Amino acid sequence: MSDIINQFLAPALMLFITGFVGAMLKRNLISLFMCVELMLCGAMLALLSFASAYDDMRGGVFTFFILTIAAAEVAVGLAILTRLFSVAKSVSGNNLGNLRD
Amino acid sequence: MDDFYIISIYAGVYVPLIFAVLLALIYPVAGGKAARVLGMTAASVSALASLAVWYGFLKLHSGSPNFAFTSDIADFLPALGVNGISVPFFALAGVVGFAAVYWACISDIKSVKAYMILLLFMQGGLMGVFASTNLLWIYMFHEFALVPTFVATCVWGGAGKRMAAMQMAVYLTLGALVSLVGIIALVVFSGSDGFGIGEIASALKSVELNASLQGWIFALLLFGLGTLVSLFPFYTWAPRGYSAAPTSFSMLHAGVLKKFGLYLLFQVCAPMLPAGLSEWVWCLAVLALFNVLYIGLVTMAQRDLKMMVSYSSVAHMGLCFLGLCSTSILGVGGALILMFGHGLSVALLFMLSNAVVNRTGQWDMRQMGGLYKKTPVLAAFFIAAIFASIGLPGFANFWGELSILVSLWNFSPAICALAALGLIISAIYGLRAVAWVFMGTPSEPLRRDFDSISDLSLRERFPAFVLIAALAFAGFFPWTIAEPVNANLSAQAVYNQSK
Amino acid sequence: MDVELYSILLLPLCSAAIIALFLRSSKWGGATVSVTSAGIALAMAVAAMLSDAKIEAFESRHVLFSLGDFSMNFGVLFDPAAMNMLFVVCFVGFLIHVFSVGYMDKDPCKGRFFAGMSFFMFSMTGLVLSSNLFMMFVFWELVGFSSYALIAHYADTEAARAASKKAFIVNRVGDVGFLLGIIFCQAKFGTTSFSELSQILSQNPSQASTLMGLLLLCGFLGKSAQFPLQVWLPDAMAGPTPVSALIHAATMVAAGVFMLVRLSAVGMLAPDVLDTVAILCALMAFFAGLWALGQNDIKKILAYSTLAHLGLMGVGVSLGYDLAMYHLTMHAFFKATLFLVAGSIIHACCHEQDIYKMGGLFRRMPLTSFVGLLASLSIIAIPYFSGYYSKEAILAASFGKAHITGAVFDQIVFWLVMGAALLTPIYMGRLFFNVFLGKPNSEKAANAKESGIFMILPLLVLGIYSLAGGWSFAYDIFWLDGKMDGLLPSAATQFVGNMLEVHMPALESVQGAGLLAKLALSLTVLGLLAAYFLYGRNRGYDTLQRNVPILYDALKQHGWFDSLYDWYVAKVQQRFAVLLATFADMFLIELLFVRGIGAFCAVIGYGIKGLHVCSANSQVRWFAAGALLLFLLFVAF
Repeated sequence: MSDIINQFLAPALMLFITGFVGAMLKRNLISLFMCVELMLCGAMLALLSFASAYDDMRGGVFTFFILTIAAAEVAVGLAILTRLFSVAKSVSGNNLGNLRD
Repeated sequence: MDDFYIISIYAGVYVPLIFAVLLALIYPVAGGKAARVLGMTAASVSALASLAVWYGFLKLHSGSPNFAFTSDIADFLPALGVNGISVPFFALAGVVGFAAVYWACISDIKSVKAYMILLLFMQGGLMGVFASTNLLWIYMFHEFALVPTFVATCVWGGAGKRMAAMQMAVYLTLGALVSLVGIIALVVFSGSDGFGIGEIASALKSVELNASLQGWIFALLLFGLGTLVSLFPFYTWAPRGYSAAPTSFSMLHAGVLKKFGLYLLFQVCAPMLPAGLSEWVWCLAVLALFNVLYIGLVTMAQRDLKMMVSYSSVAHMGLCFLGLCSTSILGVGGALILMFGHGLSVALLFMLSNAVVNRTGQWDMRQMGGLYKKTPVLAAFFIAAIFASIGLPGFANFWGELSILVSLWNFSPAICALAALGLIISAIYGLRAVAWVFMGTPSEPLRRDFDSISDLSLRERFPAFVLIAALAFAGFFPWTIAEPVNANLSAQAVYNQSK
Repeated sequence: MDVELYSILLLPLCSAAIIALFLRSSKWGGATVSVTSAGIALAMAVAAMLSDAKIEAFESRHVLFSLGDFSMNFGVLFDPAAMNMLFVVCFVGFLIHVFSVGYMDKDPCKGRFFAGMSFFMFSMTGLVLSSNLFMMFVFWELVGFSSYALIAHYADTEAARAASKKAFIVNRVGDVGFLLGIIFCQAKFGTTSFSELSQILSQNPSQASTLMGLLLLCGFLGKSAQFPLQVWLPDAMAGPTPVSALIHAATMVAAGVFMLVRLSAVGMLAPDVLDTVAILCALMAFFAGLWALGQNDIKKILAYSTLAHLGLMGVGVSLGYDLAMYHLTMHAFFKATLFLVAGSIIHACCHEQDIYKMGGLFRRMPLTSFVGLLASLSIIAIPYFSGYYSKEAILAASFGKAHITGAVFDQIVFWLVMGAALLTPIYMGRLFFNVFLGKPNSEKAANAKESGIFMILPLLVLGIYSLAGGWSFAYDIFWLDGKMDGLLPSAATQFVGNMLEVHMPALESVQGAGLLAKLALSLTVLGLLAAYFLYGRNRGYDTLQRNVPILYDALKQHGWFDSLYDWYVAKVQQRFAVLLATFADMFLIELLFVRGIGAFCAVIGYGIKGLHVCSANSQVRWFAAGALLLFLLFVAF
């Protein structure tokens, strides 16, 4: 039991940390988006590993939810990014200051 | 028989609100004339309903201290009813609202539809404030009446309108917020089920709030509501706000809305928090004296006609607060009578100042003069309004001021003497205004267009006449206000029976 | 009786309302209504006094409103003092109304004038009939308002504009003290009704408090223009002459004396208060006489004369209130006559008011001048004229008091009164010789003609009263079944007459009283001679002004009160108000306090805004920090 958890949790944690650090540091918005997806992946992996370890279906069901939402979110987010690019001519996160005073 | 008056109360409160919504709905197709007709109808219905309710109250319920004409139509609708303290102000809101809407109809206003919607919302809110028996709904109606003022000042106001509107909005909302905290505290600590005034009172009978708690709650309410009534030192929004606001709105605000704070203090706070009142009474007396004397002196330094009228309205509120300080039936009754009279006289003064400024094209009183030759009727009304506000017998203000001063002697003879000095100060600035504007010979800038100045037209005389008639009525028959007030106040333990 | 009294009270009010609402621009409508109402009021007043019922005090009361234990009563008290005053007010008022019809014939704003006159009659009647101090205060204020409105009649002149404001405000200053006194009375005794106070104070006379008396005195000082509130009366001459005659000579300024008489009769005035009245009024009687010598305007001379005689009435109050009432009645007659004579002259000379531009009017306006002569002899106190009796009574009483008590204070008062008695013939002689005798000193005076019937008739009637009015009090001339005493109804003479019967023998029996009477008479003749040699003989200029200009100018400054008050208002009061308005209000409260709070919030806002870095990464960092904080809080609690 703890084996499975150790085997899968470590990679999940590494996925999450990679995604987190990337989200904090990456300038390119698309990269930032990918890091967010990475964080979601890590979370999903952790959920599935616990589901399998404790023989509980709920982890899997929740993962399905996350997948669906991630898909929808990616669609909307990429659409926004595309629109943003055609207006601002760049996808660098540092220059999005229009709402600031 | 009560049913007719219950319907009148509902009509008085809801007709302006409904007509405002109606006007908003037909906004694209309605013309200025439709707006005026709807506005006048709503205001007339309100005024007549409020006067009918006053008459009915005097006839049927004059001796009772409780709320009359109450009804339980629906849970989500506010519970309406009037008692001895609120019925004169219900009538005041109706009469001043009528004059204000009438004046708006005969004035030249751009985009009159939007103006009328805001004005009707304000009128409906004011009627609702004095007809509610539920604290929360009183507060809500007050906000209904307050917010249109900010919008109207910002759009249709005079000089310095943006700053004045901004200052009024923030300041008054802050004051209302502080008082809301006080209201909620009162309701929570009394353990009452809801916000109804009767519920809170009966809950307080079983729960005894200790003195320090009462002190805190009363302080919150006093300073929050005091800001709304321009108590020193929270008054600076008033002069700038009133001189920048369009006339009908300053009439309703200074005349009726300003009395909201004092009304709530008399109706709810003082009876329910007697220990709190006695803790703050000296502080309040000193602040109120500052209102009377300090702001009286500041009024004397004003050259601008509208600023003078605004500052004088702040100064008179000081006397009303002193009536509260005396914690006697005579003092509080006098304050209520003075509030009634002052509402009418200050609304009249704003209206007539507007008429004067329209004719002379400027606000500086020193640049006017000799106007009585061209506008004798306007001069007569203006002089009557000034004498009413400085407390000439024959108008309601006099009985109020007299009662307050008599009651103050038992509280503290020194404070009574200082407050009486306010009589001299108000005479000085009032008569000086009359002398500068109407007497003497016209000044240089005025002389050029002097011949084109015309007197008050017949249409303009009507609202002035209505307000003066109301003032004279209350001046000759003060018992119509004093009797219901007396019955109500005698039942409250907090006002000792001494004169 | 209630109905009649309320009709006398309310009829002029209805007349004023009708004129103000409907008859403002009518040519003679306003005058007709006003004069008719004054006439009916007079008739009803006289009828009430001549009624068969034995004249006792009549009182009625209605409650206007009540709050708690306090109730505001409206009631009438028709006792002998009120009857006396009511007769004076209605009689003199009616005659002046008739006079105004002639005087204001060319005035374009007659309607406004007569409405104001009717309103004044209403207010004055109300004041006279009031049964308690609060009601008296109500009508006191209303009388002040009528005075304001009527002084402001010629509103386009600078003089009227300033004078009306000044009159009301100075009166208000006195009224504040008066009101505080009334409130004190209410708080101490629980009532302000005269009859109830009389009962309370007769049981325990020592209860009358000095402070209360002094506060109530302020009302007298304001309304009857004594030190230090006398500055409004000379300026009030800017109003039309009938107004000066009615309000500022005969009735309104006498209301202060009437109030003191009422209070004194009830017992409210402690001895200290009476002493204060005596010294203030004696000083005024003397100095006003001096200042009258520094004026060239006929109305101003008469105004200072009124100030002096009001001072005499005040001294009379301190010596015995019947004496004050006596002089009030006599003064009303002859001063009203003098003002109407002045009005007749001013009207005939096309509004020329300088006495040195008049002259020789005896030949051109014989009737007016003859009446003027009668009134002048009366005010100078020639024996058998009405002014003689009352002034002699006051003089004798003052002498008696000084003789009996021997105090320095009383002696000072006596000598001041004697000084006033000497000055009266001097300034009146100055007026008479320069206006009526000699040759005309200007075109206008040369073209003067006798006035019309509306002005002459009231003049003649009042002239007769100036001569014979005093006989009703000094002697008993009962006729018409004992209901009329000489020229006045007995009900009106009862108040003074009854007390005089007790008072006069006591005064006459004082050692040296006979000598005093002779001395006073010789002083009068001396004063007349001095006036003739100093000012008479048709010089056309003022001797003092030409030869001793310093003295003349000093007298003209009338005690520098006006200069002092003007300096105070302009330099101290207004500057302080402007200081408060600019520094304290705009700077301290508005800028530092209110806008300061706004600025403080803005600074915090800027600080927080600085934390908003516009990059997407920072959002994630903030998110992480917040999550960490929440986790720590969760763990800690």
